[in-house]
Amino acid sequence: MERLPVASDAPGKKLFLLGNEAIARGAIEGGVQVAAAYPGTPSSEIMETLASVAKELDIYVEWSANEKVAFEVALAASICGVRAMASMKHVGVNVAHDAIVTASHIGAKGGLVLLEAEDPWMWSSQNEQDNRYIAEQAYLPVLEPSSVQEAKDMMAQAFQLSEDFKHPFVVRSVTRIGHARSDVTLGPISQERRKGAFQKNTSWLVYTPAGARKNKPLMLQRFEEIRRAVNRFPYNRLNLVDGASLGLIACGLSYSYTTEALRWLGLEGRVSLLKIGTPHPLPEELIKELLASVKQVLVIEELDPFVELHVKALAAEAGFSTPIHGKDLLPRIGELSTRKVTEAIAELTNSRLPVDFPKQDQLAKEVAPLLPLRPPALCPGCPHRASFYAITMAARRVARERGEDVLPIYPGDIGCYTLGYTPPLEAVDTCICMGGSFGIANGLAHVVDAPIVAHLGDSTFFHAGIPALINAVYNKANITMVVLDNSATAMTGFQPHPGTGYTAMGEKTVQLRPEEVARGCGVKFVEVVDPLEVDEAIRAAERAIRFNGPSLIVFRRSCATLEAREKRKRGEKIIPYQVDEEKCRAKCNACIRLLGCPAIMKTDGKAVIDEALCTGCGLCAHICPYNAIVRGEQ
Amino acid sequence: MIEELNILITGVGGQGVILMSELLGQAAIKEDLKVRGSEILGMAVRGGPVVSIIRIGDGVFGPLIPEGKCDIMVGMELAEALRNIAYLSKSSLAVVNSKRILPYTVSLGLSPYPDYEQSLKKLREVAGQTVVVDGDQLAREAGSSLSANIVMLGALLGTGRVPIKPETLKEAIKGRFPRQAEINLKAFELGYTACRQGMGYL
Repeated sequence: MERLPVASDAPGKKLFLLGNEAIARGAIEGGVQVAAAYPGTPSSEIMETLASVAKELDIYVEWSANEKVAFEVALAASICGVRAMASMKHVGVNVAHDAIVTASHIGAKGGLVLLEAEDPWMWSSQNEQDNRYIAEQAYLPVLEPSSVQEAKDMMAQAFQLSEDFKHPFVVRSVTRIGHARSDVTLGPISQERRKGAFQKNTSWLVYTPAGARKNKPLMLQRFEEIRRAVNRFPYNRLNLVDGASLGLIACGLSYSYTTEALRWLGLEGRVSLLKIGTPHPLPEELIKELLASVKQVLVIEELDPFVELHVKALAAEAGFSTPIHGKDLLPRIGELSTRKVTEAIAELTNSRLPVDFPKQDQLAKEVAPLLPLRPPALCPGCPHRASFYAITMAARRVARERGEDVLPIYPGDIGCYTLGYTPPLEAVDTCICMGGSFGIANGLAHVVDAPIVAHLGDSTFFHAGIPALINAVYNKANITMVVLDNSATAMTGFQPHPGTGYTAMGEKTVQLRPEEVARGCGVKFVEVVDPLEVDEAIRAAERAIRFNGPSLIVFRRSCATLEAREKRKRGEKIIPYQVDEEKCRAKCNACIRLLGCPAIMKTDGKAVIDEALCTGCGLCAHICPYNAIVRGEQ
Repeated sequence: MIEELNILITGVGGQGVILMSELLGQAAIKEDLKVRGSEILGMAVRGGPVVSIIRIGDGVFGPLIPEGKCDIMVGMELAEALRNIAYLSKSSLAVVNSKRILPYTVSLGLSPYPDYEQSLKKLREVAGQTVVVDGDQLAREAGSSLSANIVMLGALLGTGRVPIKPETLKEAIKGRFPRQAEINLKAFELGYTACRQGMGYL
């Protein structure tokens, strides 16, 4: 079989790759043998790419239950002398944090790389934390690419660097690297395959207070060596221009924006420029050289002023009084762009802007009131819509009995189903972190008197829901926990997880069931129901909410998108529903008001179903008070 | 050698916008061009606005196009073309599919949808030239309503401003759809011709 292009051993060949494919390619070139991850935007395609070529390249790839386990899997391989990586989105690093900080004390035997993908502007995230602070706190060196090509190159070298310095390395990606596309020139693939060997060494691997005290100085020493070495890393480049009064320090992707901005402003070759590829530790010698040669400095970096603060500290320590700009001219929030960098440099140099930006902004403002809102919505046929309908119908009924002003509370979680917060479903009251729905419900149970129905998806349940479930049983929290089991990590692209019965490498495995986990953990009320059996789903939800003590319901029904794919594969037709215009009442609109399905539109006051979008789930037909919605003809 | 050509493709999730930039990028590489691009995935994009960027040329470094610097906009959906009007200037060319997709917020009365003629008028005011192509109708003529994105790729090359040979892009399309090659190549041709007619070349 011909190898997939991304795995081809063709040094010098150019491919058009997604950044995350390029990162996976880098890991292949770097000789990764063990790769583990939990999916999360913008990182998921890295492990998907590796999984697709794992067998032919003899790499072990897994989707782990969560990021902490993923990192531990990689760490164990490294301890045994095998090159390993874990990848995760930025907030996944919080989950893995416990393991990460002590890992730096252990160091690395086989090259160990943590790829973390940040999401400035939170395109698909709950926050935009800057993990350079976590790396600093954990004494982990960070490589930060300026382009897709460099992301590939850094990833390929990170394993060797990790072995050279006997220390784990972090590669920091962002959305505009991982989800950017670029021509990428391939390098050679490492063919080396090592056999793991565990050598017992308690003074190295057992972190009692004594073990930690022994290893911390060794860790500091390793880090010091890295601090000195980064001045010579090719990712840090200083271009000093004789007589230039302005010096720019551009970190990671900002370097690409800066390069363009300088061309744009006609300032190429007229300012000094330091490219930073290791924000931690910083190349201090290069920074001092720059400080010594210019009259003012602008630090260009996304998110927090991490490099800026360190440059300011370094300048103070070295006795430079050079003014250092950064977040006074650039935003702390969101992504940078060539425009933002151009504006900042233009302000410092009194340059004319190449485009009249306020005029362009005015155009956007003028048309804004005319444009339709397209908020992300649950897909047509999504089983979560039916589950939310059942949950809210049941919970409101129970709440009303407890008092006029009692409202049910719905702690929610991270996944497609977060979208249930939007009208008309309004079935999500909180969304904070993975597994947070069950955790928040635990706390609510002890302070408010209202029905509490917390829900999360199947993958999230296995990721971080189980400890909070156990907590509810142990501490007698009177809550209802719901697992919205659609047999997929749907939001990030249908990666398999412990409940699917398949591994990342496509092997069959044990299929874990949330209901069995719950029973095993001592939950006394456990039911499994199909949310599209609407009446039964409402009754089951009501029984669960009325149950005294923690209860659990699994709403089980495959993701509509997956289901449609399967049907197409089987050659089955999808039969959409239709509205009988005679029976439909113009003033009713119950289907639109209650469900908010994107396949149902309003025309001349009446509901119309878009045949191309309808998946034939039948939920609308069930709730129509006039039986006006019927299954279409074959 | 080309210095900088900025292409912005916009539409609604499910219209195949991302695929268009994948095919364009693959073809550009075959022509030995430097390519950069970017897109937003994630958060259940089906039905949401999608923007994909492809930049070609030796002077291109970053993945984003600054406002006012788009050379060619391909609008797969009318309102989404309008949403990105700030990227256009008098030196831009807008190639717009006449398709309109009304989200449920319009059904619920929560948001408006712009008038067809008014939208085109606004685009024509701002862009140097605007060409309208009935991508969905041409796709049906080619044999599949799913091929509107390929029709619009044909239209993009029909502008004559992209330094990629139609043959190269057609190879990329064939490679991607070995079983539906015929329909997609026809879709490409129909879009190509429609755009050339719209621009007054034919």
